[in-house]
Amino acid sequence: MNKTEDLYYIEAVRKGNVQAFSYLVEKYQKLVYTLALKLLKRPEDAEELAQDTFIKAYQKLDSYEGKSKFSTWLYSITYNAGISELRKRRIEFKSLEDQRLSDQDEMKMHDYYSETKKEDQEKYLNLALGKLPEDDQVLVTLYYYENQSMDDISEITGLTVSNIKVKIHRARKKMYSLLHEMLNEEVYSLL
Amino acid sequence: MNKLDKQFEEMMKEIKIDSPSSDFTFKVMSRIQAEAAVQKPHLLLDYKPVISKRTWIILVAAFILIMTYITLSASGSSPASTSTFWSTISGSLNSLKSNEVTSLWQKGLGIFSSIPPIAYMILIATLALWTLDSFLQQIRHNHSKV
Repeated sequence: MNKTEDLYYIEAVRKGNVQAFSYLVEKYQKLVYTLALKLLKRPEDAEELAQDTFIKAYQKLDSYEGKSKFSTWLYSITYNAGISELRKRRIEFKSLEDQRLSDQDEMKMHDYYSETKKEDQEKYLNLALGKLPEDDQVLVTLYYYENQSMDDISEITGLTVSNIKVKIHRARKKMYSLLHEMLNEEVYSLL
Repeated sequence: MNKLDKQFEEMMKEIKIDSPSSDFTFKVMSRIQAEAAVQKPHLLLDYKPVISKRTWIILVAAFILIMTYITLSASGSSPASTSTFWSTISGSLNSLKSNEVTSLWQKGLGIFSSIPPIAYMILIATLALWTLDSFLQQIRHNHSKV
């Protein structure tokens, strides 16, 4: 992500060129929407939250100091709005059974996964990711997909770096465990 | 990042990122344009006239007083003497009646030349402020129609 490029457009918006904001919307809409979807599940709710995120970002643009990346600032707006929406709905984060695999099992699991067909891999991965608690899904997406640093994720979510490390580690274990279950089911169904 | 992390990262890269509706940017920008349109007149709604009504009354009263004083002092009379003031006015009217336009013109010029420059400056500044005030009121009126 080009920070200087973002700052150029931010400055243009601040000077009154409202249309310049569309560049930032185009650039970040997919990830903002993905984070919103991970939290709220329903596409229409996620779209509304993503829109609200950009409106809020526009309204608060003067308070963005440029110390962190614009994406970090934007994702923190999405995350906080999503979490407060979840709290409003009183949806509790689903807790999965603490069923863990050993590191060796994880290695085996990965090899088995690699032998699975490409289209199935994506399907199972999405299913496993979808079964994680909402906040963990966001962490995993930000860390593995968006390549955000631990410090940036900490800024977005308000969690400590050590807490994030633990959560991501657990999320990975949970995902492997879920994939293990799903792939086992597939094997049994074939037998 | 250990091997397991690396493997997991590779796996995660396979996941396709979700996309909002195709007209997402348009929807957001429409809302932002509306927001921007509301923000601009908002500044004008906070507008207060440069000159308040009270100040206008004081200015007009001061102007009348200055003009009266100047007229009286130009005619060489005491400002306190009201009867002399009226006699000056009636004298002027008499001169008008008798069609002594030239002498009246000269008299008028005499009065204006006796006005100190500061009075002209006050008059010009007041007119400038009044024009600015009317102009801003007009802008506010036009924006409130949007």
